[in-house]
Amino acid sequence: MKPISHDLEFLGQLIVRDIRGRFVGSASGWLWVLVTPLLLLAVYGFVFGVIFSARVPEDLDVPFIAWLAAALWPWLAFSEGTLRGAQAIRQHGSLISKVALPRHLLVIASTTAVFLLHLVGYALVLAVLAGFLGVPILVSGVPSLLFALATLYVYALGLGLGLAALQVYVRDLEQFVPTFFLFWFFMTPIIYPPDMLPDTMAYWMMINPMSNWMEVVRAGLFHGQALPGWSDALVMIGSAVLALIAGGWLFRRLSPFFEEFL
Amino acid sequence: MSEVLLRLDQVGKVFPPTVSASQRLGALWRILRSGRSGEGTPVLESISFEVRRGESMAVIGANGAGKSTLLKIITGVLAPSSGSLQQQGSRAALLELGAGFDPEYTGLENLRMNATFLGLSQRQVDERMDDILSFADIGASIHEPVKHYSSGMVVRLGFAVVASVSPDLLITDEVLAVGDESFQKKCIRWIEQYLDQGGTMLMVSHNMYQVQKLCRQALWLEGGRAREHGDVFDVTQSYLAWHERQDARDAASGSGHAHPELYGVSDLSVARAGDDYGGDGDDNSGEDGSVQCSGEPRLAMGEDLLIDLTLRSPDGRAPVALVGLVRADGTPVYGVASDHDDAVARMVNGEFHYRIRFTDLPLLPGGYVVRGHAMDPEGLRVHDTAEVPFTVSGRSRELGLVRLSHRWGDQ
Repeated sequence: MKPISHDLEFLGQLIVRDIRGRFVGSASGWLWVLVTPLLLLAVYGFVFGVIFSARVPEDLDVPFIAWLAAALWPWLAFSEGTLRGAQAIRQHGSLISKVALPRHLLVIASTTAVFLLHLVGYALVLAVLAGFLGVPILVSGVPSLLFALATLYVYALGLGLGLAALQVYVRDLEQFVPTFFLFWFFMTPIIYPPDMLPDTMAYWMMINPMSNWMEVVRAGLFHGQALPGWSDALVMIGSAVLALIAGGWLFRRLSPFFEEFL
Repeated sequence: MSEVLLRLDQVGKVFPPTVSASQRLGALWRILRSGRSGEGTPVLESISFEVRRGESMAVIGANGAGKSTLLKIITGVLAPSSGSLQQQGSRAALLELGAGFDPEYTGLENLRMNATFLGLSQRQVDERMDDILSFADIGASIHEPVKHYSSGMVVRLGFAVVASVSPDLLITDEVLAVGDESFQKKCIRWIEQYLDQGGTMLMVSHNMYQVQKLCRQALWLEGGRAREHGDVFDVTQSYLAWHERQDARDAASGSGHAHPELYGVSDLSVARAGDDYGGDGDDNSGEDGSVQCSGEPRLAMGEDLLIDLTLRSPDGRAPVALVGLVRADGTPVYGVASDHDDAVARMVNGEFHYRIRFTDLPLLPGGYVVRGHAMDPEGLRVHDTAEVPFTVSGRSRELGLVRLSHRWGDQ
């Protein structure tokens, strides 16, 4: 009915509003986008790198903290993007019950805003690591990195849409999903290399697509692998498309009744 | 015939039960399986109507009749449970309290957002910004968060945005009740202009005067069903009559619990003073109300009008008498109550008799009605009403209702 360009403009406005909304009333809002993940990085780096003396994989010669940072930002973008997308409908409940707006745009805007913010932080951190700390980050891996981030974004969108729709009906998800993501974080090779997992858990690695993303990102940045291998690419595209189809279907099916259940 | 902008066909809405977690899970499962939310509380049942371009229709009804639900279905916020809805035209704008405003953001940010909801591009918003701000007329508050606004200011802003969009279909839900007098006038002027230029409007209001002024058609909802649909005057009049009956019933049941009998009007009669009905001295001859039998009383301008009102009381206390003169079309001319003048009733056969005389009747020729009301002894509530029409005759070319004493020239 309405032209797509209008939807896009509207989406752009929602994204700007979402980003601004996070900083309204905080003096150094932009700083926190960078500071919070950096603190997280410091904590994990200290606990796992120093206390548990976690090691990077044998064949790599990069500091643990750099190796951790390369995977931490994509994970944060993914988990925070999915979670905020999932909350978007409940968060904008009063708007939804008043205005007939394209509801999926609210979810997309929330997820996109998170990705944009963390992308900026990621780029800065990588630049600092390479420029000032002399960590060997290979530019030839950028296409692979961009592919990983793009598919990760679609994956987060799909999950966010599906969860946002379900959360309206099943309030318990609001408690459950963040906890699940914490569990997911530790079950994904982010703070440890995949070969540290016992063989019995290899099955989990098989069904957790996030380990493919982490592998591909690190292989790109530290080994300079320009494009992901076929199997990785297949898992990533497959997961992203599957999530988007399932999430989109759930959302389309459930969204006409949001108002009654909000 | 102009094109149909909106067509509702047997639209119904059922709100599913959403209280317990298991009810919500059940509804989720039904929606996923069949796309329908299943059984629940019906709020709207088989509503059908059409709105053509250039028409204006009011939706009236008591609280909880389903008016707002109907508007939500029309704007697309709610999906109908049954029936179908077709809408032509690109833009339907809903105006209601706080519509689409996020209280945390400033008025300006909300204005931009709202205009985008309604289909304006950023460039168009910029072009129309001055108009919007001057229409809203809330000054520097535009840079304040909306949570600090008064409800009137929110409506001002919302209306200003809608006015700048000129939607194909304007839907208003009780917004005019909030703004102050001058803003209401501004809005009504804008709506009239919008309708003159071929705009289409759906309006929910409890103000029958506004409804009759702005709408041609009306739909009366009662308990989620269309009770009456048609010309605005027909529908609003039967709606008001229904309310009056409702009120009378409430009053009857409300005050009757202590004394089964009410303060009531036993008799009301009108006479020309000095004719057979009686002057000051011969009250007894007038008690039987002989004038009523001889058709509508007639008197000439300047004669004395004599009104006799007999009231009954359930508890022996004298009811207050209220006497009003209205023109035949209901326009009030004058009203006065016995307690205004400390008039005392005369007891006749256990009833309370009041007589009031209007000397040198200044009413211009025409049809009038005397209304006699019985009020409780405190003079707080009207319990019963009787009417007697009468005619004032005379040859006069003066205009209006009453003759005011006047003098031309310098003296």
